[in-house]
Amino acid sequence: MFSHLRISQKVVIQVILIFISVIWIVPLFTAVVESLKIGGFNNYLLVLNHPKISLPRVTYNSFFIATVSCLAVTFMVALAGYAFSKMQFKGKSIFYYSLLVCLAIPPAAILTPLLITTKVLGLMDTHIAVILPVVALQLPFMLMIVKNYFDTIPSPILEAARIDGCTSFKVFYMIIVPLAKPALINALVLTFISAWNEYLIPLLFIRKPAKYTVTLATTYFSGGMHQTPDLLAQQYAALILISLPSIVVYIFCQKYMQAGLTAGAVKS
Amino acid sequence: MVTFKLEIKGSIKLGKLSPYLYIAPALIFSAVFLYYSIGFTIYTSFHEWNGLTMDQKFVGIRNYVDLFTDDRLFSALWHNLIFMACVIFVQIFGGLLLAVLLKAKLTGHGFFKSLLFFPNILAPIVVAAVFRIMLDPNMGSINKFFVAVNLDVLAVPWLGDPFFALLSIIIVNIFSFLGFAVVLYASGLLAIPEEMYESAKIDGSGFWNTFFKITFPMSHGTTTTMLVLGITGGLKAFDVISLLTGGGPGYSTEVLNTYLYKRLFNDFNGGLSAATGVFILTISVAMSIIQIKIYDRSQRDI
Repeated sequence: MFSHLRISQKVVIQVILIFISVIWIVPLFTAVVESLKIGGFNNYLLVLNHPKISLPRVTYNSFFIATVSCLAVTFMVALAGYAFSKMQFKGKSIFYYSLLVCLAIPPAAILTPLLITTKVLGLMDTHIAVILPVVALQLPFMLMIVKNYFDTIPSPILEAARIDGCTSFKVFYMIIVPLAKPALINALVLTFISAWNEYLIPLLFIRKPAKYTVTLATTYFSGGMHQTPDLLAQQYAALILISLPSIVVYIFCQKYMQAGLTAGAVKS
Repeated sequence: MVTFKLEIKGSIKLGKLSPYLYIAPALIFSAVFLYYSIGFTIYTSFHEWNGLTMDQKFVGIRNYVDLFTDDRLFSALWHNLIFMACVIFVQIFGGLLLAVLLKAKLTGHGFFKSLLFFPNILAPIVVAAVFRIMLDPNMGSINKFFVAVNLDVLAVPWLGDPFFALLSIIIVNIFSFLGFAVVLYASGLLAIPEEMYESAKIDGSGFWNTFFKITFPMSHGTTTTMLVLGITGGLKAFDVISLLTGGGPGYSTEVLNTYLYKRLFNDFNGGLSAATGVFILTISVAMSIIQIKIYDRSQRDI
């Protein structure tokens, strides 16, 4: 479409793209500026050495929750996606759509039952109380993405392997898993980031500061009624610090993420 | 093919059972957590319950009568619809338009795509905190900018006025999710054959004509995905709204999920909250079924 662009057209496009980039950079820039107000980089040190909340501790909590969640989700959707994409069996579409419909469940609508179950089972203030709902709520979307990606793997390869005597599970880990790497990495990364960023679920299930996740920990810096400019600056420093792991993961995995998302989310 | 399968001894039984073994973990997990929770919510919606203790008293359909006679519910539903329509419209047309501009492959187009996608990975709590400070009527950078360029009319109380608060919520969501649409459309555009554009050019078709006659219809697969995710996402909207405005000022940015949440945790009306949950689920499931039908049809076309 743009094989023969005139200079003037190029300038117009470039200006539009730069203008929009600026709009997107300003909020990110604002967060950094706010975090450096009053105390400068000292704000970050104050956050890291906060007397009441141990940042290494909450980082470990979030890291544990996010890692277990993403491994569990990816394991389950890879197996289920394989069956839904490459096998024929009775009730296939009913099972698939009954899982896909869960995509529409608003987390807020099912929190009370989860809260009660958690209380009854005595799981309040445990990592598992956060992991289980996170995994359940992430499953449907990841299943859709991974299953659609598996659909793009040509079936004749798999049939040839079956004829050579491979069991269906051998086909799965020898052929499907290596070929679907972008989709599986994408499921891992997206679930990790969503679990890391989750706010509402830990808010309801975690009360003890020792078990806080990174998102809950930032509320410690908001100061509540006694908000002061230096506390506010520290809060932004904390918000930036908790975003760093997601940023690092994004920078390293964005190639896989874009490939996995586009092949998995769009049916064509 | 069938005969071959039968010849592999021992795997016949496994072959028949194994699909169910593969889907079992995901299915059981969803059944235990999601289907059980939905069942519980439906059950509770016919009971009076304070949300704290375990005892529930059966009240028939009273919660539903209360719900459907509550003006707040319908204004929340209306906000949801406006919010969804605006976000989806901008995602589809803005996303596609930007993806087209990226095809010119000018300096920094890769960076541009990464930058726009970036807010997707930020926690809602981070996005909300940043915009709360930017949208502040006096201290916020947005109003300071408008005053500095002599556009004082645009320096409005963003989060303090019912109309502008809803607009702010929409803008923040577009900021968060436009990049996702751009990435999806950009890769969808690769599938459109260049010859179509060449012949359109020879026929003298201008930019907008080509955009609406070729690019938009040829990207319908991506557009369907954006619609599906936009509608389900819109009905799920909660985090950023509750963190940024809490549904206020008044009830001006209240959506279905913030209504449900407040009925339970502020008013301790668990039954009404559950009835709201059932109402949202019914809409969502109905939408999903329609979307799945559209999805299947769009797949059959190709």
